[in-house]
Amino acid sequence: MKREMVLNVNGEEHDVEIEPNRLLLEALREDVGLTGTKEGCSIGVCGACSVIVDGRLVSACLTLAAACEGKKIETIEGLARDGELHPLQRAFVQFGGFQCGICTPGQIMAAKALLDHNPNPTTDQVKEWMSANLCRCTGYYKILESVMAVVEGKVDEGRRDEAVRQARIQSLYQSDTYKSNASD
Amino acid sequence: MSTIGENASRVDGPAKVTGAAQYTGDLEFPGLVHVKALRSVHPHARLVSVDARAAEALPGVAAVLTRADLSPQNSHFGPVVKDQPIVAVDRVRYAGEVVAAVAAEEPDVAEEALDLIQVEYEPLEPVLDPIEAMSPGAPVLHESRVQSESRLDKGHYRYEDRGNVLTSYSVGRGDVDEGFVASDLVFEDTYTTPKIQHGHLEPHVVAASWDATGKLTVHSATQNPSSIRVQLAELFELPQSMVRVVVPYVGGGYGGKVHLRLEPLAAALARKARRPVQWKLTREEVFLTGHCHAAVVRIKTGVKRDGTILARQVEAVYDTGAYALTGPSTSRNGGEVSGGPYRIPHQRLTSYCVYTNTPPTGPYRGFGVPQVCWAYEAQMDDMARRLEMDPLEMRLRNLVHDGDVFVTGDTLEAVGLEDCLRAAAEAVEWRGGAEQAPRAAGPLVRGKGVAVMIKTTMTPSHSSAGLRLNADGSATLLSGSVDIGQGVQTTLAQMVSEVLGIPRERVSVTLPDTDVTPFDQSTSSSRTVFSMGNAAVAAARQVADQLLEIGAGELEADPADLELRDGHVQVAGVPERRLAFGDLFRARFGGAVGSLFGNAGFQSRGGVDPATGKGKASAFFFLSACAAEVEVDTETGKVRVVRLVTAVDAGKAINPRQCHLQNQGSMLMSLGSSLFEEMVFDNGQPINCTFLSYLPPSMQDHPETFTSLLVEHPHPDGPFGAKGMGEAALGPVEPAIGNAVANALGGSRLKDLPLRPERVVEVVRGGATDWGRSLQGLP
Ligand code: FES
Ligand code: FES
Repeated sequence: MKREMVLNVNGEEHDVEIEPNRLLLEALREDVGLTGTKEGCSIGVCGACSVIVDGRLVSACLTLAAACEGKKIETIEGLARDGELHPLQRAFVQFGGFQCGICTPGQIMAAKALLDHNPNPTTDQVKEWMSANLCRCTGYYKILESVMAVVEGKVDEGRRDEAVRQARIQSLYQSDTYKSNASD
Repeated sequence: MSTIGENASRVDGPAKVTGAAQYTGDLEFPGLVHVKALRSVHPHARLVSVDARAAEALPGVAAVLTRADLSPQNSHFGPVVKDQPIVAVDRVRYAGEVVAAVAAEEPDVAEEALDLIQVEYEPLEPVLDPIEAMSPGAPVLHESRVQSESRLDKGHYRYEDRGNVLTSYSVGRGDVDEGFVASDLVFEDTYTTPKIQHGHLEPHVVAASWDATGKLTVHSATQNPSSIRVQLAELFELPQSMVRVVVPYVGGGYGGKVHLRLEPLAAALARKARRPVQWKLTREEVFLTGHCHAAVVRIKTGVKRDGTILARQVEAVYDTGAYALTGPSTSRNGGEVSGGPYRIPHQRLTSYCVYTNTPPTGPYRGFGVPQVCWAYEAQMDDMARRLEMDPLEMRLRNLVHDGDVFVTGDTLEAVGLEDCLRAAAEAVEWRGGAEQAPRAAGPLVRGKGVAVMIKTTMTPSHSSAGLRLNADGSATLLSGSVDIGQGVQTTLAQMVSEVLGIPRERVSVTLPDTDVTPFDQSTSSSRTVFSMGNAAVAAARQVADQLLEIGAGELEADPADLELRDGHVQVAGVPERRLAFGDLFRARFGGAVGSLFGNAGFQSRGGVDPATGKGKASAFFFLSACAAEVEVDTETGKVRVVRLVTAVDAGKAINPRQCHLQNQGSMLMSLGSSLFEEMVFDNGQPINCTFLSYLPPSMQDHPETFTSLLVEHPHPDGPFGAKGMGEAALGPVEPAIGNAVANALGGSRLKDLPLRPERVVEVVRGGATDWGRSLQGLP
């Protein structure tokens, strides 16, 4: 039996009429019309459907929409404010933390949930937390670099980074190395 | 300032980080119905009856498609041979094959209807192993070989009439038998690689509809809209102009979305339902729709005591699954380079494309090459160890160089392979000699390995592009190349902006819509920067020539003395004598109206003669190297990759950051297939088709040091010297990791991928190793 309810998504109330077994993922994509949240595995493994509900990161493919009634749902569409991208979004663009982009909303929401909770995670903490968000395109290095750039406050220093990169292009070998473990 | 070589920010960045970027599954269509498929439970069976009457009668069902709806002459499709039915006709040939499909108002209604379809099967004996499939007496999957017209390389396959071998390829030089006799040592080994899955996070998805004029529109997450348009037109007997294929952003492909997959069924069902249909696969179904060819590679190599390779014979068997798809070209592609990037005077290289009762395969990043690279690079290290040589030195002694004639007859150009190999080895602090890492006392041992790869690109192939320069000096490039994540809109904009002398932000690049964008063979084979890049540059040059001509008239100068810069045409070196593009439009058209057009095609020429295997195999060659350091736990068998470095010759990196992303993605993908990825079957039933049981690498699997290096040996035929590079880093990773493991284990060799812990433990206990076994020479 369909039931009317109100879902609070990104600070806006949406009236929806849905079955009690409707998944949050379906409700967001089809009833609310926000398709930024993606579906990759449908079983809570890939993280493409990551959204934040009352401050907690959840897989929308495993969450019932009805269970989110009265709660605050945050999706990728709510991150930019007044046309201004969230620092994580800027970082992913600036540091190239995406390719096909299908995992990107989930990656950014997962990173946001982490940074909301702990603004200064170590690289290992980021790796562990983000390991529930699969990406088949990037090899993760630039995703990690993007998140760490926010942690380390480097996002607005884009131009300097760009200059360093440009200098590197001049050399024969253009290298991109991320040493996450300084002891190695 | 030149934009070539600049890490230009991706034009699709803002859309992709805000969730605004639209993928096929995000599109809405009025009146849409949802598709679900009924799949065979048998790997091989005769289809006795299919009764869909009860399903059709279920409220909410718009249409059911079964074999009864197919006309005999338009029931099968395929890029090389038309062997794959839209829905099963007389037989099912793999567990998971589509037998019928339902379109209904809601997905769960469609599911419910599937349960009402009555199917009677008469099970047949399946053949699941490609070697068994080749033997006489094996059940035969396909009797006919109806060739498709849709490919430029149509005439380049050698068809086999016997049993399950669809095609074969062979090439050679010298006399291998004499070469083996003249060798001091001869090695013979067999290596295998399993079925692995692309794992694109976006499952295959398509929407199809027919309008009142009889035009078919397909929105699809496909890698080659132009080619599938040709095939759909053929299948539905329509002029190509009555088929429109639109491709929004695609959520990863890696080969898994090349050629027709869901489109024929969706189009047939939409026609029957008279409604737009959408078909989104579940993750399980993705595993049943395409994967990488498993291979068995037998390789025999003769060497001199000084490490010179004299002779090599390879037989590579590719398991194409139940349907051919690109099996004939994948296996040929692997066969061509199965001798490796080495100067070997005597070679005989053969590959086979073989049917089995397993899900269909298709292109997978590397296109048949990683399978043979795994073999020849593993054997290389075993030979070096037996000869007590440094494996790096042994490779350097035999590598191909500029100007060498490859076994296919191609003259190699712009070969930066030695630089790649040296750079990668240096990055892991290669020590020389056999032992690369100190032997530890505890259970943890370390080792290092290197590997190199050579690969061809699809040749011949065609790309066309159209350029429109607007009166405000902005430009639109009409390109049918797909954004599968590589950033094609950005790199093409960089190239066009370079030719026209306008900022790259002023160049917009279309995504494919075959009503508007001209033909492009395929977004695969890492061919886009090379082929579409060349077409785009040529189209832009046509527009540039028109600008120079108008400018010459207005500035009263010789066009040869003019240049395009910052949206102006100016006398070179005299910035005062210049005119904005807008002024040129006013001069030509009398106002800020009109367009300047450029239209150009680029066609790579060549192909190989199926009789000799020779010709021009490739418009350019991919060259790459990998070096790895691993830590092996000899008690648990767990392998940890500590350092992973690849070096790829990009010719010229148009956007180095995007090149690094291609490398890094390739590296982690093949780290997964090196260590744990494998599709597992039980009596022909695939049993690990979810991301729980088949888990791609995560951020936790990241090596501590993860390095992508680019080497640039400009290619004379590439735009600005660029070659394709998107899959180059993948091939050498598996053997480099395998060699590092063997190095850590004192030479004990695992010949089968993946390097699962129990296999490692078995080798550690002295089970399954026979490294460096020589057939002649040393005892
Ligand atoms: S779709 Fe929800 S975790 Fe994969
Ligand atoms: S960017 Fe494609 S899966 Fe992550």
